[in-house]
Amino acid sequence: MRVLCVAEKPSISKAVAGHLSGGSHQTHNTRNQYIKNYSFDFDFGAPWGQCSVTMTCVTGHLTNVEFTPEYKNWSHPPPESLFRAPVVTSVHDARYARLLVIWTDCDREGEHIGHEIVTAAQAGNADIQVKRARFSNIERAHVLSAARSLANLDEKQVDAVSTRIELDLRIGYAFTRFITNSLRPLGGPMENLTLSYGSCQFPTLGFVVDRYFRVKNFVPEPFWSIKMMHNRDSKKVNFLWQRNHLFDRMSTVILYERCLSAKTATVTKVQEKPTRKFKPLPLTTVELQKAATRLLRMTGQQAMTIAEGLYNKGFISYPRTETDRFDKGMNLRALVQKQTPDQRWGQFSQALVDGNFQQPREGRHDDKAHPPIHPITYAAPSVLTFDEGRLYEYVVRRFLACCSDDAKGMASDVNLEYGEEIFSAHGVIVLERNYLDVFVYESWNNSVELPKFTVGERFQPTEALMAEGKTSPPGYLTEADLISLMDANGIGTDATMAEHIQKIQDREYVATIDRSGQASAADEEPGNAPPARGGRGRGGRGGRGSRGGRGRGGASSAGSQRGVQVFVPTQLGVALILGFDRMNFETSLGKPFLRKEMELKMKAICEGRTSKEVVLRESIAQYRHVFMQTQERLDVLRAACREFVFARPGG
Amino acid sequence: MDLTGQLRAAILAQYLPHPSSVFLNSLITARSPPPPLPSLVATAKARLLAADLSSSGLLSTGSVPSFPPGVDAAATRELRLQRPVHVQVVDVENLSLSRWEQIEELEAVERGETTRGREVIRVTAEDDNENGESSAQTQTQRSSTRTPTSTGIRPAGKNATHRLVLQDCKGTKVFAMELKRMDSIGVGTTQMGEKILLKAGTVISRGTILLEPDKCILLGGKIEAWQRVWMDGRLARLREAVNEDESRR
Repeated sequence: MRVLCVAEKPSISKAVAGHLSGGSHQTHNTRNQYIKNYSFDFDFGAPWGQCSVTMTCVTGHLTNVEFTPEYKNWSHPPPESLFRAPVVTSVHDARYARLLVIWTDCDREGEHIGHEIVTAAQAGNADIQVKRARFSNIERAHVLSAARSLANLDEKQVDAVSTRIELDLRIGYAFTRFITNSLRPLGGPMENLTLSYGSCQFPTLGFVVDRYFRVKNFVPEPFWSIKMMHNRDSKKVNFLWQRNHLFDRMSTVILYERCLSAKTATVTKVQEKPTRKFKPLPLTTVELQKAATRLLRMTGQQAMTIAEGLYNKGFISYPRTETDRFDKGMNLRALVQKQTPDQRWGQFSQALVDGNFQQPREGRHDDKAHPPIHPITYAAPSVLTFDEGRLYEYVVRRFLACCSDDAKGMASDVNLEYGEEIFSAHGVIVLERNYLDVFVYESWNNSVELPKFTVGERFQPTEALMAEGKTSPPGYLTEADLISLMDANGIGTDATMAEHIQKIQDREYVATIDRSGQASAADEEPGNAPPARGGRGRGGRGGRGSRGGRGRGGASSAGSQRGVQVFVPTQLGVALILGFDRMNFETSLGKPFLRKEMELKMKAICEGRTSKEVVLRESIAQYRHVFMQTQERLDVLRAACREFVFARPGG
Repeated sequence: MDLTGQLRAAILAQYLPHPSSVFLNSLITARSPPPPLPSLVATAKARLLAADLSSSGLLSTGSVPSFPPGVDAAATRELRLQRPVHVQVVDVENLSLSRWEQIEELEAVERGETTRGREVIRVTAEDDNENGESSAQTQTQRSSTRTPTSTGIRPAGKNATHRLVLQDCKGTKVFAMELKRMDSIGVGTTQMGEKILLKAGTVISRGTILLEPDKCILLGGKIEAWQRVWMDGRLARLREAVNEDESRR
């Protein structure tokens, strides 16, 4: 029987063909310079048996959703017509066979690409049977087992993605054209701008603007506290006031005076008990991005590109996952064993294998598609680039930390009553470092060892002072903060957040500055992203090519030496968000609510609780309503642009 | 004992302030025959708790003690109440939170938003109803996770310190501070016009009454109109306080 296998990108095609054929496959060139076809024989097991296989791949999405030619003009028909205009899906060619096996990445987007492949194949061969290989890494045994337990495509996920693509197209184009057409006539710096709108971009920008104003408007306030110190056995023990601090001087003075007049303090509690610092949870995409921006000083997008590369080479598992618990059946020890050759963590891994291994903690998220991100095979430093090496190191150390024990220590607490006021001191002695030995990104240090205190004992504190402090403003958002905000508010999926963050920088709605205050060099290097994933308009515009094709080059090392970057909005970014906020609709486009609702609806489609038709109807009606309101209150948006972009207050 | 005497005794047994005879008579003679004693007591209690202690004619002025002279003298290090005093709340603030923090929260609510951790939540009229109808159990669960309500007030922390302004039957206003945390005191939970009985022995230091659970009884009640004005003016008062504070430096 002839079987056609189609992967989502060349690297996966090559790896899967290699494993299925056992290395003995024939390679053929195709018309596309990136795509090779591989032919070999493989036994898929019952009911297929021994088959003659051709393995090929696509490069991202096959189809492109677009408007018909009469809607290509930006000013006519008017943009609001795009909520109703017909859209067409154009399909590329594909080959046929008796059985088609889809090997696209196992996530919503991959499911949709699989569907596109099926549609293309069925155009030539309506009777072709279709199966889907479920896999989350390209390790040999895993691939072979996936090939022998083929499943079906999940039509619900396909529907969710096509809904998202259509909504993004309509909403994005309608608002982008409308905003651009309406604001260009203001002239000056606005004259030649394309003001893109995206239902994820704007809320993301909204977070940056919101924080900017929280910092800018902040008013510091004084507060007062009582600091107590006692000197015993030549150790200085600082006690904390239970009230921490009060925002009123007189009240603090009254309480302080009562402490002093009590003269002695009484020990009310002395406790020693074991404590632990928990090892980290298994790694998800969002956590990987946060760690990469915070610890490795990469951008989220760089991190994703690098992780993607490590996955394509078979070093790590699929890097787009929400799951933070390992399946009980997984042989984690075998994965730990593979890390024993390393100079840096080999010894630690060996100790785990020799008996220190502990089952990882289980988080509460499971996307039912992929395990947490973990290393698949050992990659020696020599086969990785500098940045790949650093990200791989993080993934491995995190995994090994998950498989070891919590750090353990002894905590001591002493509570005092001084007058009516309660004070406490806390000390920790670290006894076993365990996971901390390999997870160098965290630390847990001994605090001052507390001298001996006895319950009921009375003493005169060495020092009790009234201190004054001042509140300080929050910091501007770091990329890790922004990712957390997007995650908490349902903006984008874990896999697309980094792209949205990049997009609002490309559009010059926000800029990054060094936390210390200087603007960083504008890193405007157009990335030469590989053709595969770059072409996917995840959460952005659907389709391949024109807009979605730019990714930040992962190999760039320019970002590796920078300080902590924070986001501030540009004048244009401020104008857009305040312009929409001041229109005073129930739901400003700068707020996360509408988009969040949309993401929840996608999830509902996947779970079979609603349908593509219903969601399209509801969401289009919602955004169309906002569009009409925006048209009516356009003057507000224009005024905001005059105020901020042209610096004409009240203009 | 006649009915007036019985009623007075029943009211005093609940730690309520001494009612005037005129008030008691008006209750008893409102209907003929008068309602049974328990419902008379309930009516009297409700009226007293909703009354303005300093100006209503419900109290027996001669028998209701007020603050001793010099109660608000900052020079006095310590003074103790010799007799129990009934007071009503005219202001409450949480000294453990910065005013700015509270302003931000109120402004978010004005915009129709609130936050839960990092999540921005839209506050709609619907949610308000839900809150109102949800069972007591969910309410406690909610407050334990410090979820803000649609009023923009988060439940105070367990180590919070509140300062109140208390007014006696003569209209004298004095600061009071929680010396020990009392869970039923809080911005949003303490109502304007709420009645408190300060027991004899209550400590007053530097013109501030120090509140402790065993030295006072929170009687409840509120004056609806005061509460409304106080709530509506809260944001403006906080802003004013912050600006004053800033201009002083």
